[in-house]
This record gives sequence, C-alpha cells and structure tokens, in this order.
Amino acid sequence: MTTPLLEIKNLHASVDGTEILKGLNLTVLPGEVHSIMGPNGSGKSTLSSVIAGHEAYEVTEGSILFNGIDLLELEADQRACAGVFLAFQYPIEIPGVSTKFFLKAAVNAVRKYRGQDELDAMDFLDLVEEKAKSVNLDTDLLDRNVNQGFSGGEKKRAEIFQMAMLSPLLGVLDETDSGLDIDALKIVAEGVNKLSSPERGFVVITHYQRLLDYIVPDYVHVLIDGKIVKSGDKSLALVLEEKGYAAFEPSACSCGC
Amino acid sequence: MPCSIDNSIFEKLHKNEAWLYTNVSALSTITFQSNSDAHTKSVELYDISKNSPFVVFVNGVFQKNVSRLSDGVTINTGGGDVAKRSGTLIPQGVCDGVHITGTQKETIHVLQMVAGDAPVACYGSVFIHAREGETISVAETNAGVGEHDHLLMPNTEVVAEKNSSVTIVRAIRGSKHAYHLSGLHVEQHESSRVQTHTITLAGKRIRNEVYAYLDGEHCESNFDGMYMIGQDQLVDNHLRVEHNMPNCNSREFYKGVLDKNAKSVFTGRIYVKEDAQQTDAKQTNQNILLSDDAGASARPQLEIYADDVACTHGATTGEIDDEAMLYLQTRGIPADAARTLLIYAFLNESLDELADGEFRSNLVDELLSNLPGGEFIRELYL
Repeated sequence: MTTPLLEIKNLHASVDGTEILKGLNLTVLPGEVHSIMGPNGSGKSTLSSVIAGHEAYEVTEGSILFNGIDLLELEADQRACAGVFLAFQYPIEIPGVSTKFFLKAAVNAVRKYRGQDELDAMDFLDLVEEKAKSVNLDTDLLDRNVNQGFSGGEKKRAEIFQMAMLSPLLGVLDETDSGLDIDALKIVAEGVNKLSSPERGFVVITHYQRLLDYIVPDYVHVLIDGKIVKSGDKSLALVLEEKGYAAFEPSACSCGC
Repeated sequence: MPCSIDNSIFEKLHKNEAWLYTNVSALSTITFQSNSDAHTKSVELYDISKNSPFVVFVNGVFQKNVSRLSDGVTINTGGGDVAKRSGTLIPQGVCDGVHITGTQKETIHVLQMVAGDAPVACYGSVFIHAREGETISVAETNAGVGEHDHLLMPNTEVVAEKNSSVTIVRAIRGSKHAYHLSGLHVEQHESSRVQTHTITLAGKRIRNEVYAYLDGEHCESNFDGMYMIGQDQLVDNHLRVEHNMPNCNSREFYKGVLDKNAKSVFTGRIYVKEDAQQTDAKQTNQNILLSDDAGASARPQLEIYADDVACTHGATTGEIDDEAMLYLQTRGIPADAARTLLIYAFLNESLDELADGEFRSNLVDELLSNLPGGEFIRELYL
C-alpha cells in the first residue's frame, strides 16, 4: 500500500484557548490534489497554519503524519525541509533583504537537511533562472526586497516560485486566489499545474470555486465549523457554487442529522 | 596643532537634562595627550574608495602624505558659524579641518582617526558649503584605534544654499573603547535638500548630535541613523530640528539593534516656529533588543508654535517579529539563522539607501563582524 503523503486523524486545534478544528480527518496520497472549501471562520487557515507549524496554534488532540513521520514533532523549518510547503495567503514583507538572498538561505538550508550539497552562487542563479521561467516570473522582481512593494499577483506568483525552488512533496496553498484577478489567477494556477507530479500532492484551500476551474482537484472537501462535513469529487465544488455553504451548515439539517 | 578642551566640563555634564542618560564623567579623570606621534598605519583600513578624494586627520592633524584632495577641497583651520547656533560643546582654539565647496563628482571621504599609546583627545572640523544649485556628497569615518579611552570630538557644519543638495554619511567605527562626541550642524536655505546618515558600529560612549536650521522655504531634510552595539556600549542620538520657515519637510528615522547590556538613547526635538506653517515633520525610532539587559530610551520632544502643521513621532522597542520568523522557517531556514537574517534585514534596510556602494559594502562587512551569526549572512552574498 502507498504511504499517504499526509494523514490527518481526529485533529483538534485551538488558538488562544478557542477550539477551531474539532476532529478533522484528511488523507492525501502522492499525486493527488485535494481542495478544502469552507466559509469564513470554518478553520481553513488554521488547518494550513497547523500543518506549517505555527506556534500560536495548539494541537490538543489527534495526529498528523507526513510521509509516515509525525509532523507535529517537527519544528516549522524541519517540516519545510522534510518537504512541506505553505504558500501564504498574506506573504510577509521583509524590507532589507532581496528575494534572491533570502531564497539562497532557504534553498541551501533545505538541501543541507536533505543531505545534498549546498549550491554556490552560480548554480543557485541557474536554478533561479530555470524556475522563474517555469512560473513566468520576471527575475528582476527577485532583486527587490522580499515581497516589498509587490502587487497582489506578484506576491502570489512569488510564493509559487518559492515552492518551485524548494520542490516540496506537499504543497499547501492557503487561499492563493484571494485578491487575484482572473489573469493573475490563471498564471498562478498554471505555475502550480507545472509542479504536479506523481510523487507530489497538493492541498488547495479556497473560499471560491473559480480557482478549481484551473487547478482541477481529485477531491473536494467541505469544511464547516472545524470538521469536514462532506467530501466528493470536483463536482461538489460546483454544487457549493450553486447552493452556497448554507446547505452544508449543521443547522440546515439536510444531511440526515 | 589640534585645539583643546577643558575636560573638567565632563564631570557634571549628566546633571544637564540634555545629557541625562549619558554619563561621560569618566572623561574628566583621564589625562589626555593633546597629540601623539601620528599613527598612520591603520589609515589604510579606512581608505575605502581608492578613486575618490580622501582627507585624513590623525589625532586632529591633517595627514598630507596619505590624503588625496580635489578641486574645492581645502585644508583650513576653524569651521564656520553654524555650530555656534547650537550652543553645544565646541572645542576652544583652532582645529585642523577641511572645507568642501563646489559640486563634487565623487563622494569626498573624510577620515578622522584617533590613535596612540596613551589616551588622546582630538577634535576636527568639516565645513561643507554648497552654494546655489551645487551637489556635494561626503562620507565621514570617525575611528578609534587601539585599547585606550581616546576621545574624538568632530564637528561638521553644513551650509546648504538655495537649490543645493548635500549628503553626509558619518560612520563611527573601530575600537569599542573610544569616546565619540560628534556634532552635525546644518543650515538650510530655500529648496535645499540635505540628507545625513549616522551609523554607529563602535565606541564606548557615542553621542551623535544633529542640529538643523531650516531657514528657507521648501527644504527637504532627512536625518537618519542606524546602530548596532553590544557589551558596555551606549549610543545617544540627540537631534534638534528647527523649522523656521513654512513648507519644509523633515524626517528623522533612527533604528538599531542592542545586544548584551547595550543602551540606546534617542532624543528628537522638533521645533516649529510660529509662522512655519505647512511644516511636515516625522520622527521614528525603532529598537530591537537581543537581550534582557539591553535597553532603549526614546524621547520625542515636539515644540510647536504654528497651528497648521503635521508632526508625527513613533518609537518601537521590541523583539523579532513572530510572523516574519514563521515565514522564514516555513522556507526551511532554522530559527537561529532566521533571527540573524531578520536582524540583518532590519539594519540593512537603513544602509540600502546609501548611494556610495563601496562605502556601503565596507560598512556591511563591519556590521556582519559585529552581528552574532553574521558569518551565515556573508555566505548568502551572490
């Protein structure tokens, strides 16, 4: 049997003492694209933060296995090195260091952890050229400070570019579509699609269906109040688009409760 | 010959409100030599830009053989009248100094070095006179050499006439034992632009005073500073910006990192005269403390007599931003390295604006030597 890339069981997580995730289960196999959809406040961003290792979120119950290893035992940087990548909804601006400079630190930290030789300046710049081309990113942008003065679309493309540079096994996209117009959305989706491979899995977190026209998921899960209440194939996203989340709210009682 | 100062004045200086946080009474007990044989061997260290004019003073004495002068750069004795307006400590007598005027293609590098086998006190003056429409850029290095408690008291005066532009970078470097008490006195006339950048990387007690007189309309003034200090070091940035005429913009932006038991003091007085309407004055002081023993005091002082002005001040003192830490860690960068990278970024943001590339990278180099974990940053250069 294939080892799941990600296996989340009965996950409960709190922030500042308030429970946000209330028994979430999710299994992602290599090569699969899963979409998590849910209304505001359902716990979508909490899920991505917990997977990435944000210390403000406390896991009170349950487990997360990544490629068979206990993810919750690892620090955020070790998770990244092991192959988890989170594309932020709001990428952080860091004045004072260029994107290239920052990424050289990241790429070499990851390579070191994976037992690969660190890249020298020349090889690093070659990798930058190659990956920037693959996500249609102007390399001039990479000489600017990390995310500083980037447009919304540039920030999201830069996130996908970083993902390409670090070549993770699991990519978690946290509302990557928020704030993007349709052209920017297509470019970002194209970048993600180029990264798909039989070994790599994606968790695409989104509020709206439209991203899924371009990144076609194998599975769609509806997250309501900290739990997955319904799973299905991509057609579920279309049902959501038509009927809204209200049909899945526990109070709607449409699922036999 | 260097000029002299009566060092008994330092004994009770901290009783004075303007020196409240900076006790330099130890200076009154040190027997200073007025001069010592010129120690020129460390000059090479600070000769950063070999193609640029270079004006060297060691222990207050002009060093002709290692200097490179250019048109408009002359050696003189005594400064101008701007410092007198500031009512601050000014050495008596006549100091060796340099007079810079006329548009300069290159940045003029001025080194004031203090060195010797016993404590040496010295003074120096730089007088920059930008006439109408002229552009002048000066990079000053104030360096103490060796283990002694030297005292360096350089004064720089600027007169920026109509439509002129003056840029000054002053870097305090070298030993961690020297006392640096410097003054920067700026007089601006109509539509002039002055930018100063005071960078403190060394010294035991460092007092950087900036006095600015905006005497014409539409002046643009940026007074920035950066510091990175550690064990037993104190930096005191003391500014007073006088808006004497309407429609001028001034900005003060000082930021620094304090390690171990280092202390920083920032005092920023903005004075807006009665009829200096439409003044726009901003003041910011940001500190990052790397240790529980480090401390920062920020004292904004707004003295405003006009009624149609925008004056803002903000001070922050804190640790490294958690969200930024997480972002770096999610890219695989371990916590220690992420912290170093963010401190570097915080300081480097301030250096980014320096126009002179060679001077800038030389300062970054010293900064990285002082920064815990700085070697890791060096490896990232492309």
